[in-house]
Amino acid sequence: MVMACRVVNKRRHMGLQQLSSFAETGRTFLGPLKSSKFIIDEECHESVLISSTVRLLESLDLTSAVGQLLNEAVQAQNNTYRTGISTLLFLVGAWSSAVEECLHLGVPISIIVSVMSEGLNFCSEEVVSLHVPVHNIFDCMDSTKTFSQLETFSVSLCPFLQVPSDTDLIEELHGLKDVASQTLTISNLSGRPLKSYELFKPQTKVEADNNTSRTLKNSLLADTCCRQSILIHSRHFNRTDNTEGVSKPDGFQEHVTATHKTYRCNDLVELAVGLSHGDHSSMKLVEEAVQLQYQNACVQQGNCTKPFMFDISRIFTCCLPGLPETSSCVCPGYITVVSVSNNPVIKELQNQPVRIVLIEGDLTENYRHLGFNKSANIKTVLDSMRLQEDSSEELWANHVLQVLIQFKVNLVLVQGNVSERLIEKCINSKRLVIGSVNGSVMQAFAEAAGAVQVAYITQVNEDCVGDGVCVTFWRSSPLDVVDRNNRIAILLKTEGINLVTAVLTNPVTAQMQIKEDRFWTCAYRLYYALKEEKVFLGGGAVEFLCLSCLHILAEQSLKKENHACSGWLHNTSSWLASSLAIYRPTVLKFLANGWQKYLSTLLYNTANYSSEFEASTYIQHHLQNATDSGSPSSYILNEYSKLNSRIFNSDISNKLEQIPRVYDVVTPKIEAWRRALDLVLLVLQTDSEIITGHGHTQINSQELTGFLFL
Amino acid sequence: MSRLEAKKPSLCKSEPLTTERVRTTLSVLKRIVTSCYGPSGRLKQLHNGFGGYVCTTSQSSALLSHLLVTHPILKILTASIQNHVSSFSDCGLFTAILCCNLIENVQRLGLTPTTVIRLNKHLLSLCISYLKSETCGCRIPVDFSSTQILLCLVRSILTSKPACMLTRKETEHVSALILRAFLLTIPENAEGHIILGKSLIVPLKGQRVIDSTVLPGILIEMSEVQLMRLLPIKKSTALKVALFCTTLSGDTSDTGEGTVVVSYGVSLENAVLDQLLNLGRQLISDHVDLVLCQKVIHPSLKQFLNMHRIIAIDRIGVTLMEPLTKMTGTQPIGSLGSICPNSYGSVKDVCTAKFGSKHFFHLIPNEATICSLLLCNRNDTAWDELKLTCQTALHVLQLTLKEPWALLGGGCTETHLAAYIRHKTHNDPESILKDDECTQTELQLIAEAFCSALESVVGSLEHDGGEILTDMKYGHLWSVQADSPCVANWPDLLSQCGCGLYNSQEELNWSFLRSTRRPFVPQSCLPHEAVGSASNLTLDCLTAKLSGLQVAVETANLILDLSYVIEDKN
Repeated sequence: MVMACRVVNKRRHMGLQQLSSFAETGRTFLGPLKSSKFIIDEECHESVLISSTVRLLESLDLTSAVGQLLNEAVQAQNNTYRTGISTLLFLVGAWSSAVEECLHLGVPISIIVSVMSEGLNFCSEEVVSLHVPVHNIFDCMDSTKTFSQLETFSVSLCPFLQVPSDTDLIEELHGLKDVASQTLTISNLSGRPLKSYELFKPQTKVEADNNTSRTLKNSLLADTCCRQSILIHSRHFNRTDNTEGVSKPDGFQEHVTATHKTYRCNDLVELAVGLSHGDHSSMKLVEEAVQLQYQNACVQQGNCTKPFMFDISRIFTCCLPGLPETSSCVCPGYITVVSVSNNPVIKELQNQPVRIVLIEGDLTENYRHLGFNKSANIKTVLDSMRLQEDSSEELWANHVLQVLIQFKVNLVLVQGNVSERLIEKCINSKRLVIGSVNGSVMQAFAEAAGAVQVAYITQVNEDCVGDGVCVTFWRSSPLDVVDRNNRIAILLKTEGINLVTAVLTNPVTAQMQIKEDRFWTCAYRLYYALKEEKVFLGGGAVEFLCLSCLHILAEQSLKKENHACSGWLHNTSSWLASSLAIYRPTVLKFLANGWQKYLSTLLYNTANYSSEFEASTYIQHHLQNATDSGSPSSYILNEYSKLNSRIFNSDISNKLEQIPRVYDVVTPKIEAWRRALDLVLLVLQTDSEIITGHGHTQINSQELTGFLFL
Repeated sequence: MSRLEAKKPSLCKSEPLTTERVRTTLSVLKRIVTSCYGPSGRLKQLHNGFGGYVCTTSQSSALLSHLLVTHPILKILTASIQNHVSSFSDCGLFTAILCCNLIENVQRLGLTPTTVIRLNKHLLSLCISYLKSETCGCRIPVDFSSTQILLCLVRSILTSKPACMLTRKETEHVSALILRAFLLTIPENAEGHIILGKSLIVPLKGQRVIDSTVLPGILIEMSEVQLMRLLPIKKSTALKVALFCTTLSGDTSDTGEGTVVVSYGVSLENAVLDQLLNLGRQLISDHVDLVLCQKVIHPSLKQFLNMHRIIAIDRIGVTLMEPLTKMTGTQPIGSLGSICPNSYGSVKDVCTAKFGSKHFFHLIPNEATICSLLLCNRNDTAWDELKLTCQTALHVLQLTLKEPWALLGGGCTETHLAAYIRHKTHNDPESILKDDECTQTELQLIAEAFCSALESVVGSLEHDGGEILTDMKYGHLWSVQADSPCVANWPDLLSQCGCGLYNSQEELNWSFLRSTRRPFVPQSCLPHEAVGSASNLTLDCLTAKLSGLQVAVETANLILDLSYVIEDKN
């Protein structure tokens, strides 16, 4: 066993170069307009269509040490927040080149580390001024407001990402609004809110006509509870003036925005549109899912004594490739696909409450709970007198069936696999067994139907059996939704179940994964916004503030001969502390360059600029204005209020009362920055790579020169 | 058919230290450890070259456990350092660098090993008796009635590991947590013999460091589904606990070799399950409230216990068993037979908690000294480093409790000690040599080698091309930019010494550490007010440094003494 050691940090820093080249691959995923990529495996000629950074990194070869660290950072962000990954990857690239340039200028590594790290801290504190509180969003829930009123603008309305838009069109829309509210009122009285998209489809940009309302209406389960709550929370029955708002301004905001309009967001639809970042169809589903969950919570708790929390673990997706995009919708309850052979069973069970049993593990003869070790050396011998008539599996299946019959159970949800023979037997006796059910679905049924999950069928007793489950086809004409594998979508539901299924459909199977990823991205964005009760003003505003703050800070430290910043270094006694002031402006400028690159790429990606250079000039222009104004945050807020959102373009101002803003999540975003910088600084401080074990035999002889052996 | 092969003769090499290969590998190892040293030390990426886990570290324990060295001399070196680290946690790199420096310096002199070894030993005992004496000028008493010095100690350890990736705010937060966790392990009413408890580090990767926290008692991680199924306990008195270390999964015990023959219709599984249910009945009749099992509990038994309002938690894992035993006062139950009543223990209360995405079952102790440190960091690499660092810090606090002194850190102790030895060997060589056969010249030579070895340890604190100075009054370390303009400007260029105790505004004389200077008496006996006022000192653990010093000198002596390496080639 030998160990090889390589110095990675002579003259050029290999690690940083690797990081920037990895990051380069994800550049086009930044921003709301993502271009998909085909990843082709040269060896087996397989290809996948991807349009997110996570999927991209899954397909890249990241076996090098730096690649591993990058992957680790991305996975950590993804597992914790599910959002901010493209930002992370881009900033890793931008900052590694920034750091490299610092190295070229001879800035000591320790100073780069301290200044960059504290610089980012400074930014994270500064951006607090762009917080938008999200309070009482469910107190003044306006269930009549629809996405389409807002969605046509939002891509074009981020402060830095505007598309010159047609003024007339907006006016026309404005006019239509009144007509729409009438329609909505009527439909409200008739039951579910009918979201008449037809009225609102002026721009081709509206991606798809998500005709959920019809689906829901057709659904047998349009229950009364929803109707009630809608009436209660409808603007038309419980009219409070929305513009006045109810939330109190936060203290920290007051000093910044004293002269400006205080921004706050207390409308779910507005929040959702703001967070959709161009993906309205997914966000609309998420928003509807939240509404359903909220309505359910209200009914369950009577008067909503506990504040409602959006529980993302009770959102579930069911992908149905092959169906048109318009079939996507959200429904209360559990939607899943089962084999067509269950058709007669479902027809039989359709009009009656069904009793249910939940099985935690597999439902097979040989299944034993986890941790059970089956002894291999036990042999069962038959007495000579008795003859075994049936196979043991047959006996077992009969036994299971007997238990089901005894407790009058017609529906079994199983977390693991189910024995084929048992399924067959159950179909014959008009019982439905569904395998591979998600754990939180099981939990939802346990709560709503009063069932207790068990590991073995022998454990079932009267207390474990749930009641009142409704089984039906997802759509009234079942043949609509038979997919290629001869499976059919069914809906399981029970009174008050806290479970919402989002049915995602797409005619192109290859896009199914993308669609699902996007749904979850939107869901998590909204989840964090609601959880943290605050969002950022989005569309690049936060990054722009960071950029300008760092520039101002750099200017200040150039002018002042201050030793005040020596506290920025951990090790205050080192000479580095005293020479920090010399290098600080340079390093801060390079850190700011990362933001500059981020913003210009964002602008360029939204296709409004022919080159990144042009975009960069545009940013530069505003940066100048912002730094000249002295207070960048006021500048940004001011520009925001000039046209409610359309910042730097004032030709159609004051026409609209309510233009949706773009929002960003707070902690996931800041954490993505931090992670990106941490990774870069970690790699920067690394001077050698030590390969242990036999790994060094893989190093080919040309590279061998750089290695030292122990 | 067996094949016989002639045995190869053993390989014998004389004077192993003089070979080129040993010299180069030693210098590679030295370069690795020196480049890691200190708060601005460079990190190492350790991995297997196949895309496995990458460990980014600058800590000796992580580094040495991954290094696979081949040469016996390097093996001796790494083994003795690992040994030191396993019992003292801190000062591993110091020991390694000092040992390498000593070997290198002494080799140049060309003295006989016996002389070198004897004199090294004298110098070592001189150092140790000085560091332990009342007059020592580089150690300060640790006051356990205030947190100031203790926090300095912890902070110094945290900041010396850059791979933890902590910002200043995070460093403060984690230091406070470590101190709190340590204090929770000290029993409240201790008489005479104190037995410290234990702080368990619970991983919470992916979260912000600032979300880390300390809780008294033990946290058992559970899935959300499991947790939701737990019944709420409403009981005002303490809860009775049974702790099982055997599996309750219902599998038949290992039958060994051979086959067990069972006749048809007999189910061994059912027989075992019946036994388990009997056990359950006993637990119910003994009024147990909480059943904990290291391994798996059979679902039927769980269901049975739940029906009788007993909380059953399984898969606790072996690491929590000892703390659980300690905290609840239970005897772990190892059989399915009847349970002895005094095996049961108790907890004050239980509750559930959620941190990040993880769900925990929290056992709150009556008065035991077990606490859980929930440690968060953004990614795996940084978390692992932070965990090691926290363990080191907790260990150092324990050592400090035993020996309530701390050494001045930041290299000041080493330069001060070198100045003291130089002064001693110049002015009072007889007291060192006593009746030895060594000459004074030999002593001067070895003392110089020893002192410069100590000084080049602190020289390796500098990684960005700065220069190191020492003052001629306290013998402390000062750092200055390379090619700094003029000696006269030094009071302006320098701000404070390495440990942060003195500042440059005093009338001091400085000289480069590399240059020769006349021996001087470093000022001993620290002024108390100076220590009291400094709030941000860099401190080192006395016990660990003493051991490090000893291990370094003794290992160097051992290696210098080697004259043959005999290798069995078979």
